[in-house]
Amino acid sequence: MNSQHARILSVGTANPPTQYEQKKIPDLFGVEDPRIRSLFSSSHIQRRNLYLPEPTGNGVPLETQTELIEKHKAGALEMGVQAIEKALDSAGLSPQEIDYFCCITTSGFLCPGLTAILMKHMGFREDCSRADIVGMGCNAALNGLNPVASWAVANPGKNALMACIEVNSAAYVFDESLRTAIVNSLFGDGSAAIAIRAEPLESKQGPQLFGFNSHIITPAIGAMRFDWDSDAGKWSFFLDRDIPYVVGANAEKPVNRLLKAHGLKRRDITHWLVHSGGKKVIDAVKYNIGLSAHDVRHTTSVLRDHGNISSASVLFSYQRLLEEGAIRTGDWAIMMTMGPGSTIETALLKW
Amino acid sequence: MTHKSLNYEERDGVAFITLNRPDGNRINVQMVSDLTDVCDRLEDDSDASHVVLQGSNGVFSNGVDFSDFHPDKPMDIHGFNKWEKICRRLERLPKTTVALVDGPAIGGGFQLLLTCDLRLATERASFQMPEVHMGFLPGMATFRLSKYVGLGRAKRMMLTAEVVDAQSAYELGIIDRIDTKEAALAWADEALGPKHSVAVELARRLLNESYGDSWEDAVGHFLAAQHRAISQTAFLETLRNQKK
Repeated sequence: MNSQHARILSVGTANPPTQYEQKKIPDLFGVEDPRIRSLFSSSHIQRRNLYLPEPTGNGVPLETQTELIEKHKAGALEMGVQAIEKALDSAGLSPQEIDYFCCITTSGFLCPGLTAILMKHMGFREDCSRADIVGMGCNAALNGLNPVASWAVANPGKNALMACIEVNSAAYVFDESLRTAIVNSLFGDGSAAIAIRAEPLESKQGPQLFGFNSHIITPAIGAMRFDWDSDAGKWSFFLDRDIPYVVGANAEKPVNRLLKAHGLKRRDITHWLVHSGGKKVIDAVKYNIGLSAHDVRHTTSVLRDHGNISSASVLFSYQRLLEEGAIRTGDWAIMMTMGPGSTIETALLKW
Repeated sequence: MTHKSLNYEERDGVAFITLNRPDGNRINVQMVSDLTDVCDRLEDDSDASHVVLQGSNGVFSNGVDFSDFHPDKPMDIHGFNKWEKICRRLERLPKTTVALVDGPAIGGGFQLLLTCDLRLATERASFQMPEVHMGFLPGMATFRLSKYVGLGRAKRMMLTAEVVDAQSAYELGIIDRIDTKEAALAWADEALGPKHSVAVELARRLLNESYGDSWEDAVGHFLAAQHRAISQTAFLETLRNQKK
């Protein structure tokens, strides 16, 4: 085992400035279809921060694909920057001190990618390495964290930064179908950033990243996907209704492998940080892994306050766990995210 | 597998946990630690089909051992937390649990049997929660007891510290059967049937949660649990047998 593990030094989060009360969104945008209105009446999501166009009182204002891409970029430059600044401040770092920068998003495709745009905007060094992980969906925080942690271990003492920036409202399609309404009622906008560095074992700054385990369910490759909607001229996200059950039936597999690799039992895990994918997905994880409502309290509260903010969700839960102040030295935690592939990703942390 | 405060053995596919302390099987820090070891064994390395929890020498348990407490020192709430955690683990074991009460089950002993799936008694069993009369609380029996007997009866039992005999406990719904030890255990073994651990665990969890959830939440939990149950070998075998 390497003598140094990567540690998460800090976390910062941000959302768009405008918050919408979930139940009021249909009235605000003149949605009358009762089937669609009912999607907004669930108590599991109470509010979301979103970059939505000003309501005109005449249906949902049309945004072209070009405008949606511009919104994705502008959102990254606002809340993405804010999340990064908070993470850097908390770690006592400046952009100039970052040696490796990874950006994760699924809400828009840009070339050059978000790393280049944010490095120019924030004044990173010209020799800072970078990687953009685009289009991997809600699980992607851990798909990013795995190589970022490996980079940190290979470069001890150097600083890595990872940012999950999801302007999910830039992926909305309004066509009065249930398919798009489900997406539009679930996903919120948010950004989260973490600073990571390999530190000596005796360091107490943040939890160590002990390992990762992945699980892909290829028979369910089409269960979560972006399709090109030629009628709307936009990318449109599709969520299969069986996703919770696909995730639930497979949830134990990566968790058991991860625990076994480190000689741990499920009861050794004090903290569970599960992606806030939606109520049914959270229930599926709870009843298949045997987690209590208390175990997933941050997962459910992030869903309640922000909706599903895709890759950023799990880091919002991580931040709430830190703020709770209940962590003790020696505690183990598992992060668990799920998304397109269909994929379940897990990470093991120790304080 | 011998512990300081209890005996553990697996016999004919059944795990027996026998509380065994000379002072009436009183519950102390050692017993909590020993029960934790036993739960580890049952979760990790046991082929037993179900678990029997019983006392020794004609006593189930006389409750908390107060020698762990000192009136001149600050009280330690964390010990109570450890007790509740082990009760919860027993309540959520991946095996059916049967309490066999032969003699008094007082205080913590009464609390312990409420965590079990079936509760059997001999004629000489008796039940009492004297904690409130002693100035403290009967643990999370404050949460569990009323679910068995109703709020009014639970209040009466806790606030009056009345001693309830086996027949009354049966009529209240605390006890499922009164018989000799051997006959009661034989009945439980047969009545519990094939003991599919996943279905048992999930059914018990949904029942335990049924008092706190809204219907909307509960049906979501049920569907998640049912999908897990019907994906297990046990249900697939049932289907295959039905097709024969």
